[in-house]
Amino acid sequence: MSDRRATSAGGSIPRVQEAAIHATGVRKQFGQLDALDGLDLQVRSGEIYGLLGPNGSGKTTLIRCLAGLIRPDAGSMTVLGQAPRDAVAAGRVGYMTQAAALYGDLSVDENLEFFARLEGVEDGDEKIEAALRTVDLLSRRRSIVSTLSGGMRQRISLAAALLHQPDLLLLDEPTVGVDPVLRQEFWAHFRTLAGKGTTILVSSHVMDEASRCDRLGLIRAGRVLAEGTATELTSRAGTRDLESAFLALAGTTPASASGHVS
Amino acid sequence: MSLRRIAAVAERIALGFRRDRRSLALLFVAPLVVLSLVGAVWGSTAQQIPNVEIANDKFTLPAALSPRVIDALVRSTAIHAKSTAFEQAMTDLRDGTTDAVVWIEAPVVLHIQLEGSDPLRSGGVGSAIQKAFAEAIASATAGAGAPSLGLSGPSIVIDQLYGGPGYTLLDYLAPVLVAFFAFFFIFLLSAVSFLRERTSGTLERLMATPLRRGELVLGYLAGFSFFALIQAIVIIAFTVFVLKVQYRGNLATIFLVEAVMVVGAVSLGLLVSAAARNELQAVQFVPVVLLPQVFLSGLLIPVAQLPDYLRPFSTILPLTYANEALKAVMIKGYALGDPLVVRDIGVLVLFGVIMASGAIASIRREVA
Repeated sequence: MSDRRATSAGGSIPRVQEAAIHATGVRKQFGQLDALDGLDLQVRSGEIYGLLGPNGSGKTTLIRCLAGLIRPDAGSMTVLGQAPRDAVAAGRVGYMTQAAALYGDLSVDENLEFFARLEGVEDGDEKIEAALRTVDLLSRRRSIVSTLSGGMRQRISLAAALLHQPDLLLLDEPTVGVDPVLRQEFWAHFRTLAGKGTTILVSSHVMDEASRCDRLGLIRAGRVLAEGTATELTSRAGTRDLESAFLALAGTTPASASGHVS
Repeated sequence: MSLRRIAAVAERIALGFRRDRRSLALLFVAPLVVLSLVGAVWGSTAQQIPNVEIANDKFTLPAALSPRVIDALVRSTAIHAKSTAFEQAMTDLRDGTTDAVVWIEAPVVLHIQLEGSDPLRSGGVGSAIQKAFAEAIASATAGAGAPSLGLSGPSIVIDQLYGGPGYTLLDYLAPVLVAFFAFFFIFLLSAVSFLRERTSGTLERLMATPLRRGELVLGYLAGFSFFALIQAIVIIAFTVFVLKVQYRGNLATIFLVEAVMVVGAVSLGLLVSAAARNELQAVQFVPVVLLPQVFLSGLLIPVAQLPDYLRPFSTILPLTYANEALKAVMIKGYALGDPLVVRDIGVLVLFGVIMASGAIASIRREVA
């Protein structure tokens, strides 16, 4: 809390254009569990970085730290050159939670208007329309959210994260429950956003999605085991596809795997 | 029908209870707590001996008889009586330091002036005085050579400072009922609603926007208080215009007391939702918050009549102050500027501020 305030009050630290996310030695414990165990991560500006790992590997904890929701016990972390909460408070971060976090008793429009107002979006109507067009739900904008399918809610949740055109998008398993056709469109859209300079950190445990990322980090037990493009990872592991690469790399002990990340 | 399957369902319920200590506590401990409270509150009020002041300057019995009767009244065990001047006695009655003022007018009319804001108390005080007086007359006129009244007994006039024969029980209860309903409906609504915010993940999502915790709590307070205040207007209007409850004070003052009380109720709801994991647990807080206030806030029994060891609990309950202020305004006609009303409103505001700060702090604990 205090360090956040200090950063925002004392003027902005010069933005490091190269690193949208800069994390070193991040640790977070929940009781006895080490959710993050000295994690290092660099995400470059404008890239799509895929966070790959099994359930419980620390993906969501990392994303929550980056969204300023929890503070790491140790280590340092900057988002867009700022403390995470400052970047969020400045409206520069978009966050899509794993389970769609929406108000079921409000309509699609009302939900998006609410988030637009919280983010201080000007000309909210236009932005809402654009976001709904992106997720192909313009026709359902008057529907009450609780009457929509899980996949539709997921799309609205994405629309809510896009409204304020953030510099960094944190997407926690965004395509869960989304059908293959729409999944394709999601990724096309992510690519367009990245082309315009938006940095995207996306977590997944679906390997076929991973190949669409610029770079991948394999995360397990709260550490990044290996990092690189999909091709680099498969060639390093000497496997034909990412899935077996992941299994091969995850099979090695974290200590021996950590040395080769450039 | 399969016994095995029925047993499986029953066992599943037992297993659930085993991990839900709070439900178990509510099931077994709560009734004992409530019964103890009932015992403490009602078991002791019957023996309350009223304080009575005898206006010696308005005691118009034959000269020789007056001191003897006054002396006998002061020695009476049915009442705690003291002899004083009429003006002083009436001041004490308004302050609440005494329950009744008595004097005798010619020929032999016993005047009992009661405080009257609580009908249960009034009845008890009245009968205790009559008993004491009958004994006092008897002892004063007994024996050879004692002066005689010349009458078989005095006639009695009972008058009340507040309330009166035109008042029904509803007139006395209306102030506390108004506070009670306003408090609990809005408390429950805000607790469950904020809990839903926590459990559905929207709270976490909101905290990942520029929205600050304090802004969120203030927004909740504004949103719920708006409806709570409309509810307060409806309740007060219904009580006054439909049920025709008698009231003395200003309607705006009544509304203001309600308003500061419901803001505290909303804040308390937000805070309580932090301690609950699901809606069932939130509902379990209702009796925890409700029951002490039913027994100890002056709703059923005036706070002054509670046993000494329970009275400190009353002082930490917000409804105690709301009840006191609303009774003062509605039954006694106190104005907004009266020190008692000002103090009660002040305490209610303080309660709201503390609860709101607690609610803000409770969000901090789960999301950094």
